[in-house]
Amino acid sequence: MAAVLRFFDAIGRRTARGFDEWGFGASLLAESIVWVFIGRFYRQPVRFTHTFAEMMRFGIAALPISMLLAATIGLMLAIQSLYSLGLFGAQNFAYIGIALSVTREFSPLIMGILIAGRSGSAIAARLATMTINQEVDALQVMGINPVRFLVAPMLIALVVMLPCLAMLANLISIGAAALYVSASLDKSIGSYIYDTLQILKADDVWHGIIKSSFFGLLIGLIGVMNGASVTGGAEGVGRVTTRAVVQAITAIVVSDMVIGYLSTH
Amino acid sequence: MALAAQEPETIWKPTIEELENRPVVIEVDHLDWSFGSRQVLFDVSMKVHEGEIMVIMGGSGSGKTTLLRHLVGLMPPVGDKIKLLGQDIGHLKPMKKLELRRKIGVAFQFGALFSSMNVAENVKLPLRELAHLDEKTMDIMARLKLEVVNMSGFGNLMPAELSGGMVKRASIARAIVMDPKLVFLDEPSSGLDPIVSSALDDLILRLREAMGISVVVVTHDVESAFKIGDRITVLDRGHILACERPDQIRVNPNERVQNLINRRSEHVEVDPEEYLRRLAGD
Repeated sequence: MAAVLRFFDAIGRRTARGFDEWGFGASLLAESIVWVFIGRFYRQPVRFTHTFAEMMRFGIAALPISMLLAATIGLMLAIQSLYSLGLFGAQNFAYIGIALSVTREFSPLIMGILIAGRSGSAIAARLATMTINQEVDALQVMGINPVRFLVAPMLIALVVMLPCLAMLANLISIGAAALYVSASLDKSIGSYIYDTLQILKADDVWHGIIKSSFFGLLIGLIGVMNGASVTGGAEGVGRVTTRAVVQAITAIVVSDMVIGYLSTH
Repeated sequence: MALAAQEPETIWKPTIEELENRPVVIEVDHLDWSFGSRQVLFDVSMKVHEGEIMVIMGGSGSGKTTLLRHLVGLMPPVGDKIKLLGQDIGHLKPMKKLELRRKIGVAFQFGALFSSMNVAENVKLPLRELAHLDEKTMDIMARLKLEVVNMSGFGNLMPAELSGGMVKRASIARAIVMDPKLVFLDEPSSGLDPIVSSALDDLILRLREAMGISVVVVTHDVESAFKIGDRITVLDRGHILACERPDQIRVNPNERVQNLINRRSEHVEVDPEEYLRRLAGD
């Protein structure tokens, strides 16, 4: 009996903690939005220089690895599409699946997972270290709102840069797929690109862009929530960093599935 | 000339009578505080006057850091209990609280310098974010404050490149850069050798003399407390045991006060049966 009670007690505590964390995340988001719009009126704007620095860190610095991944995804899709469609003699239609899956699914998802691992962990580790070193307390006592100073620039940077990376990944993936397919089917690259542009609609591209922005927001909020809730010194920093990456990737994959379902029904 | 470099015998100290005729800048009124079921502050009351150096002294776990965090507004507000510069911080609206915070400076125990910025940028941060001055003016003000704490020439160093004493001084420079009326120092001498610690004490006295600020120092360093404090508040297990001048503290009859200032460990009577029960986990 005691074990059953302990089991339900643990579930109850975890559920309450989950609600508490998401409440905290929602309040961070609301406060960030408020500072973006009203900060200037109180002469406490969200600094463009900070936001730009975060954009460089989260977006530009991630370009080489993200483009390498995008090219690999494009090639992989082309290889699999030609193989599977070849079973029905339909290789010529490979461009349809590649174009739609890259723009609607693979670019946002892969870039989201990459940035969750690369920047989500960095955000959690930075915030956690700053919390432990009392740097966040120092901001508060100076009268500098930590959400305006630290959180809002990171969220803006992720919401802006992740769609940019996804857009670029669309181009690189489709380009890489075009190279492989044209070489395999003796078809010109120009013709492949023309067919791809014929099949793609603006909605498909927007779907990927909006989804990437949402993933950027999730990565930022989860990183900040975990970083700010650190306890227990260096070990705690490691723990919240791992937790932030796992939670961000899970949130991205689950929300991707939900958005995918809702947008096609 | 750097204040820290001046001769200590010229340091001025006001008398208690002089201080008590000045306005009260900090007032704590019967403050209680608990973390869950564990009460850490019991009916704490104190007053700090303008230009006074108040030392809050106590051993580990005495509640002094919790009291400091209340004073600087890092704990959830408690209504009608704490007044800073005449304003009840428990009832202040967020923007008023921000304004009040600009009038106080805090130097944390481990400096809390931003590791991504150099020393000069750390000192300039409050000016950049709150004062909206041009870059040149900020540079001059930051250099001035670094000069005050004898850190001129170190502005380009990163916090990781500084010694413990330099981190504390840079942190004090950042705390005073907005010319605050109140400065809070958390364990300024912890982790420092006696010479650096003594120089830091002199710096605190000089700062009060030069800027007329009120200073609250939280420390467990008895020597430092007696050197700089106009009055010393002794906290023990969340209770204020004494709040007196250093010479009065020296002769205070309370055994726990004497234990603390003479660094004597507490003699605890243990009932053998109770001890065995505790070991057995009963």
